[in-house]
Amino acid sequence: MRMATDELVAALAADLRPVRRIAPVWRRTLMWLLISLPAAGLVAWQAGLRPDLAARLADSRFLLTEVACLLTAISGCYAALCAELPDQRGWKLWLPLAPLALWLGTLGAQCWDVFLRLGPSGLVLTEDTMCLPAIVEGGLVPALVMVVLLRRGGRFRATHACLCGGLAAAAMGAAALQFYHVEDAAIMVIVWQLGAVMLLSLLAGLLGRIFLRPARPPITL
Amino acid sequence: MGEDEDVLRDWMVAAQAGDRRAYERLLASLVPALRRAARGRWRQAEAADIEDVVQETLLALHAARHLYEPSRPLLPFVFGILRLRGADALRRRYRQSGRERAIDEFSETSSYFATKEEHEDQIDAGTLHATIAELPERQRQAIEMTKMQEMSLAEASAASGMSITALKVATHRGVATLRKLLRGAR
Repeated sequence: MRMATDELVAALAADLRPVRRIAPVWRRTLMWLLISLPAAGLVAWQAGLRPDLAARLADSRFLLTEVACLLTAISGCYAALCAELPDQRGWKLWLPLAPLALWLGTLGAQCWDVFLRLGPSGLVLTEDTMCLPAIVEGGLVPALVMVVLLRRGGRFRATHACLCGGLAAAAMGAAALQFYHVEDAAIMVIVWQLGAVMLLSLLAGLLGRIFLRPARPPITL
Repeated sequence: MGEDEDVLRDWMVAAQAGDRRAYERLLASLVPALRRAARGRWRQAEAADIEDVVQETLLALHAARHLYEPSRPLLPFVFGILRLRGADALRRRYRQSGRERAIDEFSETSSYFATKEEHEDQIDAGTLHATIAELPERQRQAIEMTKMQEMSLAEASAASGMSITALKVATHRGVATLRKLLRGAR
């Protein structure tokens, strides 16, 4: 049998301690970015920047893909932090879908170009086993920072928060990968890089319920 | 809810700074509004389910009070918690009731409720009494009067000289300490 609600109110008031208010979502997103960006950049630099980087940076399609990838990371972080608050509007939680669609759309358009020029032979898929571990490496620090941020949050919608948090970290890893991995065939990027990002996001979403259980105050009911 | 939202927001800000009086007022003011909102949202739910939802919401609000930004309205924050945690509480309650059986189905002499030896050990009355004796004086007194002797809060207050609020706090802390001690004894 539970205690009466007025008793619970008294017990909660008796248990009250001062709390440090959490920073706004945009500020925590900025903090995540300020740590994650240099960390992912360091991984790319340590792995050795690709020799044709200057030429690639002059290519608008490469830049668009990279921007979409980074926007996916940033909006993923923002959505994850919003998901942990009870009063955020629904569109904020689905914000990463827009840059993700742009990322997929850019790569899809490149695939279509290749198909029109070379036919099906231009879309041959080969094995590329380095993408997944490389994205994990590049996304490791962003993921750890994300865990710290999410654990201080409200733990509402834990699965959604972890799904978006995982997407943010993996997309940051993929953004770094573009700087040192010479793989420009769009179909390969879609399958191995975007595929790895999706896989890692889903994994994070599944783990969310375990690591982000709702916090409960020490009150006896 | 008599108070307007600015007053509630001021109480919440004071509660974040540790003001217990403001916090108690805030929670007490929110309870009727939460009940109404829960009844409106889960029309099929019974009164006990609604009270469960309200209590879960209060507990979640307590755990999440550091998330509230004073620049944002308070009520969407509170009702957002009700919506998110209330559904969880009801799911849990229905799952639990699905596993329960009506006691009337069994005769008084049925062996259905016989417990194993290890379970009996855990609730051994002797251990419980000895552990209660280890509690700090005020907690022990509160537990003995309100739980063991089943005195009302008013009676216990008159007998012990403690205020009703102090008794509630001492009972709450006593139960928490008791739980810790019993866990350690296992």
